[in-house]
Formats: sequence, structure tokens, C-alpha cells
Amino acid sequence: MSVDVEQAPAALAALPARRPGGPYRLARSTWTVPVLVFLGFFFVIPLGANIWRSLATGDALTQGAFVFYGKLLGDAYYAGILYETFKVGVIATALSLVLGYPVAYFMVRHAGRWNGVIVFLLIAPLLTSIIMRTFGWRVLLARRGPVTMLLHDWGLIARPTNLADDPVAVYVALVHVLVPFMVLSISAVLQQVDVRLEESSRVLGAGPLATFFRITLPLSLDGVATGCILVFVVTNGSFLTMLLLGGGKVTTLSLLIYQQFNVAQDTGFAAAMGNLLLFVALACLALQARFLRRQGIRP
Amino acid sequence: MTPPAAYPAPGGAGAPAPRRRRRRPNWAALALGAYVVAFLGFIVAPIAAVVMVSFSTASFITFPIPGLTLRWYWRIIEYRPFVDAMIVSIEVALASTLIAAALGVPAALALARARGAASALLSNFLLAPITVPAIVLGLALLYFLASLSLGLSFTALLIAHTVAGIPYVVRTVLAVYRALPPDLEEASAVLGATRWQTFRHTTLPLIRPGIFAGGLFSVLTSLDNLPLSFFFGSASTSTLPVVMLSYMENQFDPSIAAVSTVQMLIAVVALVVTDRLYGIEKLTAA
Repeated sequence: MSVDVEQAPAALAALPARRPGGPYRLARSTWTVPVLVFLGFFFVIPLGANIWRSLATGDALTQGAFVFYGKLLGDAYYAGILYETFKVGVIATALSLVLGYPVAYFMVRHAGRWNGVIVFLLIAPLLTSIIMRTFGWRVLLARRGPVTMLLHDWGLIARPTNLADDPVAVYVALVHVLVPFMVLSISAVLQQVDVRLEESSRVLGAGPLATFFRITLPLSLDGVATGCILVFVVTNGSFLTMLLLGGGKVTTLSLLIYQQFNVAQDTGFAAAMGNLLLFVALACLALQARFLRRQGIRP
Repeated sequence: MTPPAAYPAPGGAGAPAPRRRRRRPNWAALALGAYVVAFLGFIVAPIAAVVMVSFSTASFITFPIPGLTLRWYWRIIEYRPFVDAMIVSIEVALASTLIAAALGVPAALALARARGAASALLSNFLLAPITVPAIVLGLALLYFLASLSLGLSFTALLIAHTVAGIPYVVRTVLAVYRALPPDLEEASAVLGATRWQTFRHTTLPLIRPGIFAGGLFSVLTSLDNLPLSFFFGSASTSTLPVVMLSYMENQFDPSIAAVSTVQMLIAVVALVVTDRLYGIEKLTAA
């Protein structure tokens, strides 16, 4: 078979456009089978069994399938814990947003060459264990700890007490763990906001505050929503902070699961609590996916 | 043929480049900067406090520390449970990440180039374990594995951590592989390489940063995944955070600070080594 040299350039030009069946694919679709089998067996079945367990074991057999969920939502004590879980989530999210937004704004608009340093300091705590950070707050917020003494010297607290066993410690530690996620979520979106929009607003006579609330903030809402949902979901799932700080005064759903497991061993009820927690997490993420799709961003 | 040449960008070629004007000190920006410094102090403070306490001569927790000593680091070595747990932690982190990569990388390669709703759904499914609160996953897996009589075993711990590690590997490999043009593999195939040779000599070197970045996330998460690990804790399968937690419930001395500091150093070393080998900017690719 001979190739006509004259026609070669034309043939080459046509080549990239001719990809029968789309681009070359190294991987066959069967390559997904092992991981699907693994996750099917060790992820889907256990979670499914957990749902079954919450509906058809122990009291659920004798008193109706939804007895555990009824107890969780109807009993005043457990309803109080659900309310507490929601409250802690909302407060931690709001604090992270208010404290984190200015940092994200500074990183994008002012930090310049310091940006790398800020990102490093934000990410560095993620390399430390959650126990280390919680322990750190116990040291700083102890009765004779530096923060407590400082607040006392400034007259903000009447007499030094162990702040680590005060509910405020839970919020401090939660915000400390979660605010980096908020800052990075917001700064990622803020980077896409054209600074000229803000400049135009200023040139046209709007003050800095009006510019922020009418231009910058609305344009960065994507990042705010992503950050808030992330922080809220992670707060719902964390129990170590509440276990080691706050003196046992902040009891949330996750902490209750931990305690139920360690003490009561009521498997059906523990499973029901876990499912509720899972349901809330999935609902939040569905909300986020919907939000991102509306913005035309592929998650 | 081609659309008309790009429109001159506003403020681009024609107009002079926007100059930084010398302005009076921008008090708002300075105040913001001061706030950011205070904020970063808040972020670093508890970690710095723990590192300092780990060198404290006092046998109870006090701050500022009265003097410097290394005795708490000796205490780690003397207290067997810490050493054993650290070994278990590292074994679980590395083994689960290896299995997660062996399972996750081929699947990510298949899904990255696939079209259609089914493949999008599968990709989301592979990322799903990240979205399930660890305490729920741990609880569900413990009951399930106990019914297979695997309850409190190293195997159970390994399975749990592998489930949690898969999303990290899949996510970064998907991102890196999607950004690669298929031309290189196509060229390799056209030149007569078998599927395996193409994978081994073309694809793998290109996606290696993604594998290592995802693997690093998986290792770091595994080392600190107390909510998942504590369900499987027994004398021989307790990871470091589980042992630290039970130690803290009984005693409150600076040896916990020393262990924390060592654990942080392990994470930092893992990060630096990965960075040296594959570049840190790859870590933020996903």
C-alpha cells in the first residue's frame, strides 16, 4: 500500500477531527467493577443494614417500625438535643462566616505576596490532630491559662474560672477547626470577582460599605453558601470537641451517638440517630449540589 | 475561518497599564491587615501552646511553662500503648491508602473520560463516603463487620479506613486525568503499545501527582480519623488518637502534648516529602 505524498497534508489535517467513538480511552468501563463491589459490600450494605436496624430491631419489632424515630423527635429530652445540635451548627457557621469573610477578602484584594503565608497558616492546623487542637484550648482556657488571665486583667470576667468547661470553649474550638474551610471556600469565589466592578461602584459614588454590600458580597454568595454548608455539616458530625470541652454542657446528636454506643449499647436507637444525622448531611449536600448546578458549576 | 482577532481587552494593549497610585495610607486596609494578623494568631495559638507544654518541666498542665525538659518525649517511648498505637496508625494509614489507590485509580481513569448520566452518578457515588459523617459510617460498619465476625480486628479497621480513603484518591485522580489531553495515550496506542504499556509508561507518570496528592490526603485523614477508629478499638487495634483519648480521660499531663507534637511532625514530614517529590501546587489541583 503506497501513500500519496501529495495527499498526506490533507490526511493529517483531517486526523484530529476523525476520532471514531470519541477520544481514545485507555480504561475500560470494567475497571470500575472492583471499587464498586468493595463499596457495595462495605459502604452500601452497612448503611442499608443500619436503616433496617433502626426500623426492625428491639423495640421497633414490638412497638412499630418508627418507634426509635418517634422517640428521637417526640421525646422532650431528645428534641432538646436536636435543637441544641441545630443551634450549635448555626452559631458555629455564623461565627465562622463573620470571622472568616474579612480574611478571605484580605487574601484576595490586599495580601499580594503574603497570600502564600496566609494559606499556609490556614492549612497548617489541618495537619495537626483534632485532639491536639482541643488540648491546646484546654491549656489556653484553663483557670490560670493565658486567655483567662488576660480577660480577667481587662475586666471582662469578674474572677478567673475554667473557661474550658464553659460552653463558650466549644464554640471557640469549633470555629478554630472550621473557619479555614470557610475562608478558602470564600476566597476561591472572590478571586473570580472582577475588581473593576468594585472600582466602578466607587467611581460612580458608592461608599465602601455600599460597594461591599451591593457588589462584592452578592457576587461572592456562591463561596459563602459552599462554606456555610460545609461548616454546618462538619459541625453536626463532630463530637470530640463537645466531649473534651464545655464541661459536658453542650450535648449534640453526635455526642449522644458516642455516649449511647459506649454506655447504653441500644443498637436500634443508635442506628436511628445515625440515620437522622446522615439524612441531614445528605439534605445539606443536595442543597449545595442544586445551588452549584444553578450556577452552572460542576461539583 | 477564525473569528476576528480578540477584541482589545479593556485597559489592555491600547490604554496605559493601570498604575498603582500613591495614596494616603489606606486605613481600612491597614485595619483589615491588623485583624488578619490577630486572626492568624488565633489559628496558631492552641497549636503553639501544645508544642510549648510538651517541653514543660511541670507534671501538670500549666502555662507559661516553668522550664524546659524532654522527659515527656521519653514518657512516650516508655508508655507502650503510645508506641503500639502509633505503629497501628501508620500501618492502617499506609495500607488503607494503598488499597484505596489500587481500587480507586482504575475506576477514576474509566470514569474521567466516560460520558453520560451513569458515569456522573458513579463518580458521585465513589465520592460519597466523604459526605457520610464518620461516626455514622463507623457505627454502621462495626455492626456489619461484627455480623461477619470481623468486629474488632485489624481487618475491620483497615476496611473502614479504605472506604474513607477512596474518595480522596478518586477525587484528585479524576481532576488530574480530566485535565490531560487524550492525545498522548492515543499516540502511545497508535505506536503499538499495549493497553498495559500505555498505562505503565504514559498514563501513570502523568497522573502520579494526582495519586500522591490524593494518597497524602487519605493518609493524613486516616491518621486522625478518631470517629471512625474508636469503634474498632481493642488492645491490638487502637490507633493513636483512640489511645490518646482514653489516656486523656484518666490523666492530664504533658505527655499528650508530646504525642501530639510527634504526630504533627509525622504529618509535616509526609507533606514535605510529597511536596519534594511531586510539587505542592498539585495538591490544590482538586
